[in-house]
Amino acid sequence: MMQSSPWNLRRAVIWIGRLFLGGIFIYAGYSKIFLPNTNFWPFFILKFSITMNISHFADQVAAFKMLPPWGVQFVANTLPFAEIILGLLFLIGWRLRIWAPVLTVIMLGFFGVVLRAYLLHMDINCGCFATPEPIGLRKVLEDAALSVLALLMTVFVFMEARQAHPWTARETTRAQV
Amino acid sequence: MEVFSDFQCPACKTLFLTTNRQLMDNYVSTGKVYLIHRDFPLPMHAYSRVAARYARAAADIGKLEPVEKTLFENQEKWEQTGDVDGTVAAVLPSAEMTKVRALVKGGTLEPLIDRDYQLGQMYRVSSTPTSVFHSKGQTYPYSGVMNYEILRQFLDQLLSQK
Repeated sequence: MMQSSPWNLRRAVIWIGRLFLGGIFIYAGYSKIFLPNTNFWPFFILKFSITMNISHFADQVAAFKMLPPWGVQFVANTLPFAEIILGLLFLIGWRLRIWAPVLTVIMLGFFGVVLRAYLLHMDINCGCFATPEPIGLRKVLEDAALSVLALLMTVFVFMEARQAHPWTARETTRAQV
Repeated sequence: MEVFSDFQCPACKTLFLTTNRQLMDNYVSTGKVYLIHRDFPLPMHAYSRVAARYARAAADIGKLEPVEKTLFENQEKWEQTGDVDGTVAAVLPSAEMTKVRALVKGGTLEPLIDRDYQLGQMYRVSSTPTSVFHSKGQTYPYSGVMNYEILRQFLDQLLSQK
């Protein structure tokens, strides 16, 4: 009799999502904090570089013209760190049923914001990473693909949680026999 | 401190109208910091090179300050119409404006703008404004608009370095 393999499609999507989205979020957060200004020594230079980089990101957030100044500052000062933490939690795979929906909501938020800017023909940079990335159809499609991956992954995380792991299930069957 | 700037860039306008004015009053006029304006007209801006020519010509006759101020303050107007000449003429007496126009048409300013641009490329300037700080033999390039308070703390620490 054929037995179900632990490597089904759902688990593959979860693994791909963890590695891909986790990696992208960590790099996105890192680049906002440590790029484009890369003078890091002595300490006051590091502090000034990080402040400048966060301020650079704040300008990009403000360019979307969606938030009041305090909202821009809040996003600029929290999002890069939240991205790194979420990315690490994804890579570790700890409490995915909590963090996968959180990351999906953030990803859908990014997609919505980028789509809005694209539809309004705003001539601005995405602000996703430190490098200048003008918003175009390609960026919209990239964000859409990442949002679909995050959404699928979240659904699969919950579906997998409802089923007994095949290895565990096999042991149970053997024990019953 | 060298500031690589583009007259048509909105962030350069912000830097000039906010931070740089306070910097001039508190650090440049007191001799603590030597500030150099460098032209870095980005190819994406249609009139920034023209504006740079007028600003350089005005500097040649000792009138950089009012011309730089008017170019940044009226950036949204002349970038729509391309009327850099009219914007500059509004703040200079006609005799001085005649000298500025002669210098702009003379073609001697172009190599100076190109020299600044090449210097920027040497520092790997890719966006404007970029400020390059030189202190105690070290060079620190920074891109973006800096808040005056943050810049003040940075400069104080840079100046107190031994």
